[in-house]
Parts: sequence; C-alpha cells; structure tokens
Amino acid sequence: MPSTTSNLCQAKASYKKIPGLLELTKSHLNWTATGKQKADLRIPTSQAASLFCSKEGSPQVKLKLALVGNDAGHTFMFTSPQASAEREVFKTELTMMISENRSNSSAQQQKVQQQHDGAANGTPRSFPAVSRATSVSSGRASSLGPSGAPDDLQLRRKVLVKNADLAKLHRELVLSGQITEAEFWEGRESLLVAEASQENQKRGRPGKLVDPRPQEVNGDTKIVITPQLVHDIFEEYPVVAKAYSENVPKPMKEGEFWTRYFKSRLFDSHRASIRQSAAQHTINVDPIFDKYVEKDDDELEPRRQRDEEVDIFVDLVTSQEDHVETGNKRDLTMQAGRQRGALPLIRKFNEHSERLLNAAEGGFPSKKRRIDDGQSLYDIIDLDDLRDGDSSNGIVLEMKDRDRYYDGRTGDQSSSEDKPVFRTVLPEVRGQLNGWSKALGSLKIDRKAGDAALQSMTQNVQARLEVKLQKNDIPESVFSQMRTCQTAANEFLRQYWSSIFPPPSDPQTLGTSTPAQKAAKAAKMIGYLASTQDKVDAIIKAASSAGAEPAKIEVAMKPVLNAVEKALQFHRNRRPIR
Amino acid sequence: MEKQEIEPSSHLSVIIDLSPTQWHLASLQNNNELQPQSSQQVLTFRSFITQTLAFLNSHLALKHENTLAVYGALPGKSVLLYSPTVPKSETEDISADANSYLPFKVLDNAVTTRIGEELDALRDEDEEAPCDLVGALTKSLCYINKLLTSTPATLDATTPPPEPRIVIMSVSPDQSASYIPLMNSIFSAQKLKVTIDVCKVFGPDAVFLQQAAYLTGGAYIYLERRDALLQHLMMTFLPPPSIRRLLVVPTQDKVDFRAACFCHKTIVDIGFVCSVCLSSTSPSKSVQFVSQKLMAYLLQFVQFSVNLSQSVQPVGTSIFLW
Repeated sequence: MPSTTSNLCQAKASYKKIPGLLELTKSHLNWTATGKQKADLRIPTSQAASLFCSKEGSPQVKLKLALVGNDAGHTFMFTSPQASAEREVFKTELTMMISENRSNSSAQQQKVQQQHDGAANGTPRSFPAVSRATSVSSGRASSLGPSGAPDDLQLRRKVLVKNADLAKLHRELVLSGQITEAEFWEGRESLLVAEASQENQKRGRPGKLVDPRPQEVNGDTKIVITPQLVHDIFEEYPVVAKAYSENVPKPMKEGEFWTRYFKSRLFDSHRASIRQSAAQHTINVDPIFDKYVEKDDDELEPRRQRDEEVDIFVDLVTSQEDHVETGNKRDLTMQAGRQRGALPLIRKFNEHSERLLNAAEGGFPSKKRRIDDGQSLYDIIDLDDLRDGDSSNGIVLEMKDRDRYYDGRTGDQSSSEDKPVFRTVLPEVRGQLNGWSKALGSLKIDRKAGDAALQSMTQNVQARLEVKLQKNDIPESVFSQMRTCQTAANEFLRQYWSSIFPPPSDPQTLGTSTPAQKAAKAAKMIGYLASTQDKVDAIIKAASSAGAEPAKIEVAMKPVLNAVEKALQFHRNRRPIR
Repeated sequence: MEKQEIEPSSHLSVIIDLSPTQWHLASLQNNNELQPQSSQQVLTFRSFITQTLAFLNSHLALKHENTLAVYGALPGKSVLLYSPTVPKSETEDISADANSYLPFKVLDNAVTTRIGEELDALRDEDEEAPCDLVGALTKSLCYINKLLTSTPATLDATTPPPEPRIVIMSVSPDQSASYIPLMNSIFSAQKLKVTIDVCKVFGPDAVFLQQAAYLTGGAYIYLERRDALLQHLMMTFLPPPSIRRLLVVPTQDKVDFRAACFCHKTIVDIGFVCSVCLSSTSPSKSVQFVSQKLMAYLLQFVQFSVNLSQSVQPVGTSIFLW
C-alpha cells in the first residue's frame, strides 16, 4: 500500500471550467488549477458519498462526486486524450472508498472540511485500511484511543447536542458560571458512558437488499447506474458478475450489458419486491442473459443446503414431540412453502441475512456452545449475565406513618393492645341490628349536620367548577422564566442532595469527591437554593406587571419552593449534628 | 311520555363493608388519632343501616324500572344480601303494612335479616379475617354483566339496557394483598362501563378505592359529617352517571396513585415496571425479579432466532445489524 502522501492516480481535469490537475491520495481528492502550487480544492475521501459518471462515449468525460451532506458535490471534466481510461481509474478507486465510507459513515458525523484557496490546514485523518475485510470490523475503534478512556469533552458535546433540554440547562448553569462543568456532569456519568458505548459500537453493513428502482424521466423508464450500484449488484448476485466478465467488452459494451440486463428475465428474477408479477409479461427474450437464469428456488428443499449442526437448545424439532403430549396443536400457521411462490423470496432473504451475518462475524458462527461430553446441559443454559453478583441492600426508604402504607393486617397487629376483642365486638354490632325498623321509622337527620354536609359538598363542586372555568393566560415570557427557574432549582436540588447522600457504589463513577469538597458543594448549592424565593418573587412581580395573575404563578411555583424549603430545612437541622 | 321510554333505567349495586371491628370503632367516641379532626361524630351501626336503607329505598323510588342489588363484604367472605331475583322464601311472612310501601319493606327486611344471619354465622371465629371486598365487587360485576347481556332478550328491543353502577361503603383500611384482584376488577368495570362510587364512612383514606373511583369515573367521598350520612348519599350517589353530566356531584380531587409491589404486596412509593407485562415491583427486589423475567424472554428470543437461522421456518424479514 502506498503511503498517505503518495498519489493513487492523477489526471488532467477541469473544475468549474478552469483547467487543472486532479489527484487522488488515500485521504484526499485534490484539484489544483494549472500553474498553482497548492491544491485549490481538497476533499477528504472520507466525505465521498456517491459517484456519478457521464455516459460512455458522450463527448464530455465527466465525473461527479457527491459528498456527505452535499448532494450537489463537485463535477470534474477529464480533459486529456485518454480521458475515459483515466476516469475509469478514478472510478475504481473512489468506488472502493465510497463503499468503505458507507460502512462507517453514519458513525462519523463530521463536518465537511474543505478549504478553498489552498489554506489546507485541515488535520489529515487517519484512515482505515482499504481492504474490505478490515473495513467491516475496524469501525470506529481507532478514534477511541487504545486506553479506552472516552474523549470526555467530545462526548459531553455529543450528549448535549442530542439532548436539547440538557443543553439548555448546561447553558444556563455552567456557561453562566453558577456551577462548574464537573459538577454538572457528576451524577450524569451514565449518559456519557452510554454515549461512549454507542460510539464504540461497531456498525455492520447496511442490510438493504440491492433493488434498483427505475425512475420515470420524460416518459422513459430509467435506472441510474452508479459504480457503487454495480459493485453491490456483483456482490449480491455473483451470477451477474459472471455474466459481466464473460460478455463485456465482447460481445457487448458495458452500457449495452446493463440495458439488456435490466430488461432481461434474469433481472426480473433478482427483484425483491412484489412488482415482479406485474412486470412478468413485458420481459423480452434475451438469448445471452436467459442462459444465466437459474431455476426458481421453490422446491421443498432449498437449493443451497445448510450443513451446520443445529444447537440442541435452539432446535425446534427436538421439542416437537412434547407439543402433542401437552395438548398443543401442531403449528400449521408457520409452515414454510405452503405458498410456493413465496419460497424463492424467503430463501433470498435468508441468504441475504446470512451473508450479512457472515460479513459481520467473519465466517460461520462459532460452535463453541456445542455440547461436549464433560459439560452438562444445565451448565450451558446457566448464563453468567443472569446471576446477580453483588446485590446491594439499597437505600432504606424513610417513610412517615409507615404503618399506614403496609398491609391492613400487619397494621392491626402493631396496635393490638387497643384492638377490640372480636368476640365482644360481634354481639355488640349484631345487637345494633335489632330495632332497625323502629329506627328507620323515626329517622331524622340533624339539621345542623345536614347543612354542614351540604355546604362542604357544594364547595367541593364549586371548587372544581372554578378550576374548569379557568384559562391558561400566563404570558409566554413569564412562562419561560418560570420554566427556567424551575429547571435551575431542580438542578441545584439534585446537586445538593447528591452531595449529601452517598454516591452509588459504582466503581466506575468518575470524580468521587472528598467529604470536604462535598460539604463545600452542599453549602454552595444551599446558597443558590436560598435565592430561589427571591427569583420566584421577581417572576411574580414581572407577571403582575405583564398582566397575569400573581396568585396563579405562586401556586404554580409552590411545589418548587416546597422542595427547596425542604432542602434548606434539612441543611439547617443537619449542621448541629455534625 | 316518549322521552321516558328512551331514558335508561338505572341499576345500583351497593357493597356494604361489614367488618364488626371497624363498626365497633366507628361507634366509639373520639376513638383514635388516625381520624381527621372534622369527623368526630359518632356513627352507630344501627344509624348507618337505617340511613343506608333510606338511600336504597329512594333509589327504587326514583324510577319504577330501577333495580338494586346489595352485597355484604364480611370477614373472609362476601355474600349477596338482596337482589330482586333472590328466592323470596325468607320474605314470605311479610304482611302488608299500612305505614310502608311493600317493595321497600321487602328490601329492608331482606337486607337486615341477611346481615343478621351472616353476623351470627361468625360467632365461632376468634379473630376477624380481612373483609372480602374484592369478592363482593367481583360478584356485583358478574351480576351486572349478566344483567346487561340478558336484558335485550327478555325486554322490548327499544328499551335501552340499564345504566349500571356500584357504590362501595367502606370502613376497613386498604389491604395491600388485594391490590391486584382489585385492579383487575377495576379494569373489568371500565370495560363494562360501570362507574364505581366510593363512600369512605370511617377510617383512613383508602388508596385503592380512590383509584377505583377515579379510573371508572365515579365519585369518591370521605364522609366529613358522619351524622349526615344520608345527606351525602343522596347528594353524591343518587344521580346515575348520565345525570351527573348535568348535575355535578362532589368527589375528591386528590388521588393517591401508588401501586403495590407484585411480589411483596406492599404499597410502594417508587416501583419498577416491567415494560413487557407491566407488572410493578419494589426497588429492593427488582434485580432478581427482572432477571427471572429476562430468562423467560431470552428463551422466547432464542426460539425466535431459530426461525431465522434455520430455513425450516423462515420469517420474511432480513436481519439488520447495528
């Protein structure tokens, strides 16, 4: 492999009608106007998304490279006498790089770096090796560094970009200097870890089936063939690659090959969708391509037999006999091949999936779980992950009136001394039943009690009616202030309580601080919290000047103030004990 | 009178909590600190029964087609105290009385006699078992279901089915153990479009019954003036749900939505919910609980993945890797 600086290929080409030299290195596609030293255009090849070429034989030999996030891309016109051949070289190289990029493109959301006028100070990225086998597995591992320590700053930024609310809070609290960056992230390590692991995850190949769709242009049906598509088709359908190698350039030219392929029965049998049946009668007979058509794979046994031994724990056939015993009916709904026409499609899906899996895992799945003589069956299904290694006792929940929340029976037992004896109670209650008739005859509700009940119930109804009639008329500006105040107070509360209570006994949490630091932090947070009341007062004042009802805002902010008050009170009471 | 034909009749199932201990406590003066200060009035069982009977009678009097079923939740069992279809053998000896309307008298007699019998039957017990409120609730739901499904066959097709509702008169505290069956009853009630009203006559607020009333669109009231029970009953529980759209009845705004842990049956403040089966569990046990469940799902998944790897039973999707 040539080093990153050396050119893979170069050719005379004009860009925006200015003649120049187009060069391709491993990391960049450079274009230099004739007579200049430095490249006018530097496109990192990692940005290449797709490639378009002008038709074979057309007067202008063009090559268009679309970039990630820039579909317009750059169009180069090859100007030398051997334009076609030169372009072919670029095409091959770029196609490789593009398929490379596709497999890890989505992981790299990097800004398009391109500098005009030669100010080429963009840092050259280390680029994964070109060979296909490694490209699948290498993924992003390189950017993470060998130590495995995630690049914190980068990660934090990513978490914030993904989470708008958090970003807002961060802006309000950290950028305004109220709490430090480290404090902000304390207790949120899990977000970073999650992001890091997501970053770290290998991305497999996209699982889309190759299915070129014709487009209608001016009444003609057209299929746009990109070098990438050709590559994909060859990989998906080796038979097309075979046909290509046997028939191009003799007896067919490349363009003719594709035109005839897309009209042929061969293409029709390769299509994945239901459109197949609609197109069936329009297919032309093509002596060359028809040779390559395989018989539909719709026999009872698939054409390609699997020779793998099926793990006993995933083999459905092994438990089939038990189904009858337990009274289960035979599964008739999921029989493969009842509809014969579906079989080739199903098998195609299965083969496609298998190909993807193999590409990701590098060959057939390992059979490490195969039963050996010494290993008992139970050892195999006993998974380590399901064992609770270190179960913690958790934090005891301190509840007031604990008895009230537990079982009625246990509640009774706890106050058994004043619990009446059932045997004495029963006759008493039973006795109450006698004479009900007379009591019913003389039933009379005390007027005072009745009035009081009526009044309280009327109040209840009225209160709910008032709530129903109320409108939400808090101005937006005040409302956003309320929100800000609330989220800020919540964050301060979180910081305060997290500095009071022991951190989760998670060994991987970052930045465990000393007791002194914690005390300082708690004091600082209490300082902020103490000012919450003033902030709320300010909002209320602003609201009343904006025409909103202050009482409403007071009610709305009450829960926050309650929570703050609780923290303040806790802080006051705590001091003397320590 | 065309309009009256369209108006549905109303079916009322009343469930009376008949815990002797709780009724004894209710009849004591100034009994314990659990009570809010507002309800210091004494309510004897006799007074309760008479006021309730007056309420039941007024329900029957409201409309000729109105029906009524009365259930008792007794310690350890639940019984049907009265329904129009119950055999009349016990009430045969009722003679017409110049001072009372016969259907009222039949009802009153049946209810009181049955309560007396059931209380007598408890005589041999030493301890009071918790009241089987859920049993009574389930029975009344069954009764309503039967009523709703059988009515069109027996009656004229133009008659709308009766509008069913349930009123629970509760005196016992919540039993955490009955959370799941109670919740299931609530869901059936929702499905049957039965509103459940709750009158907490005595004792602390019942969390589960609050939820029952809230989820079924019924009213929950805590009896503030126990000496004016009848006033509360008339005002809150007499109008059927269709009328309540026009005549607002009091209810409680605050509802305690806590759930009970599925394995320990205790009410929890913070619980974990399984995203698949929606069972909730307390934090302390979540790890074991989840791992048990995980094992079960894992096995399912393994079986599913076989479908993909063997082409014996292929599934028509391709695998996407991430």
